[in-house]
Amino acid sequence: MNQILTITFRLTVSCLLAALVMGSAFIITNKAKKHNEHVREQKVVYSLLGYSDQNPAPESVHLHEVYRYVVAEAGQQFIGYLVPAPHDAAAPFTFVALDLDGKMAFQNPVNAAEEKIREAEDRKLAILEAIGPGKEITFAEQTIVVTDNGQRIAYLLGGKFPGFKTFIAVMMALDPKYTLLGFEVLEHEEDPGLGAEIEQDYFKNQFKDKPFEVLKGLDVVKAPLPAEYQKALEGDLDEAEIAKLMEKYRGNDIYALTGATISSKFVTDGLKGIAKKYAYRLGALDSVLKEQQIAVSF
Amino acid sequence: MTNDKSISELLSRGILSENPIFKLALSMCPAVGISTTVMNGVMLGIAVFFVQVFSSVTISLFKNVIHPRIRIPSYTLTIATWVTVIDLVLAAYMPGAYAKMGIFVKLIVAFAIITMRLEMFACKEKVSDSFWDAVGMGLGFMVGMVVIGAFRELFGSGMILGYDVLGYKPLLFFILPSAGFFVVGLMMAFFNWIEVVYKQKKGAKA
Repeated sequence: MNQILTITFRLTVSCLLAALVMGSAFIITNKAKKHNEHVREQKVVYSLLGYSDQNPAPESVHLHEVYRYVVAEAGQQFIGYLVPAPHDAAAPFTFVALDLDGKMAFQNPVNAAEEKIREAEDRKLAILEAIGPGKEITFAEQTIVVTDNGQRIAYLLGGKFPGFKTFIAVMMALDPKYTLLGFEVLEHEEDPGLGAEIEQDYFKNQFKDKPFEVLKGLDVVKAPLPAEYQKALEGDLDEAEIAKLMEKYRGNDIYALTGATISSKFVTDGLKGIAKKYAYRLGALDSVLKEQQIAVSF
Repeated sequence: MTNDKSISELLSRGILSENPIFKLALSMCPAVGISTTVMNGVMLGIAVFFVQVFSSVTISLFKNVIHPRIRIPSYTLTIATWVTVIDLVLAAYMPGAYAKMGIFVKLIVAFAIITMRLEMFACKEKVSDSFWDAVGMGLGFMVGMVVIGAFRELFGSGMILGYDVLGYKPLLFFILPSAGFFVVGLMMAFFNWIEVVYKQKKGAKA
């Protein structure tokens, strides 16, 4: 009995010590890890917009982050957007809430520093303070409106949807007419050699420049990828030829990956769903912003 | 075990006479699985090196309070802690390498060589001796991984450290998993042969 107690005590103490070591390591490294993730995200953002280290984004390009929240108040639900205000406004952000029919519900200026808005917790507190008591808010997602000289040039949407095994996280870019500019897989756990091929150019580039009309009804076909199309997708031909072939297949559905039809289908449906919902939501938000003459930075 | 081992003896034992891969034939899974390039070998070698050193020193420090009935759980806990720490550090400060190696770093918890050194050496010997033993074993593992990696990278893809040295790919077979066994076997034979020759020479002199 005594021995059992000693063993239990010693194991407990060693577990606590181990937890202490691991916890400290986590706290020390977490900041650097977050920073890395942010840098990587920025890189993905710019590469989706067609910029790289050789071809950096001009000064006139700005990213405006829009955060969507679900607001609950006494059995009623609203959709709230935290939008950046123009430079000369009194408060740097505005929280605009729409009811479920897409009509204006309320708006409040949010006075918080940009750094604070980047942190999920601080952002939530700042919004709650601005909209007053009695309301619950739940973060839904973050989207980015990209402008060049004040003109919108693209929307960047992050999203997560189920894959074959776990969730697939993507970042996609749409132009102002909701044409898909491209997407990047941020995180996935699909099978190597099968579903993991969603990261490959010959799959990803099939989505490139699909107009919104095509995107809305996009589906997957189980057919072999034509050889000429594959070459174009992988960039093995000269530019004029690639443009011609991409044009030829623009209206087509997505060719499923061999042995990974389900992954292909989920990615296609996921991107389609994100784009469709965003187009609808942004339409509602834009019309309210215009109606109520709420000034925003984008 | 004797207590009068010198540092150079402890080091050379890990690298040569008791090399974890070629002599003890421990931790063969990584040796076969991911030693397809020199860089993979170096990365995993560094990770194993630090885990081995930290774990050996920890166990050696606490050897008097570890209850003999629960020594294996204690070793596992220690190794798991240090693997987690190194995993976090790599993820934070070397994200590029971590993207490739991350999945293998977590596997170090189950590497036989580390537990074996704790059981055979660190739980009985002085902290300083355990430290040098761990350094030797860690380096030995790294050397093994790098040698196998270099062999397979050169003959499998014609490259060394990602630079094309041969200009063609001699045998794709060498970067496939099954070739790992053949390469490890060849290397083992080579190391044994060297030892035999060395001993003969020594015998002839004496």
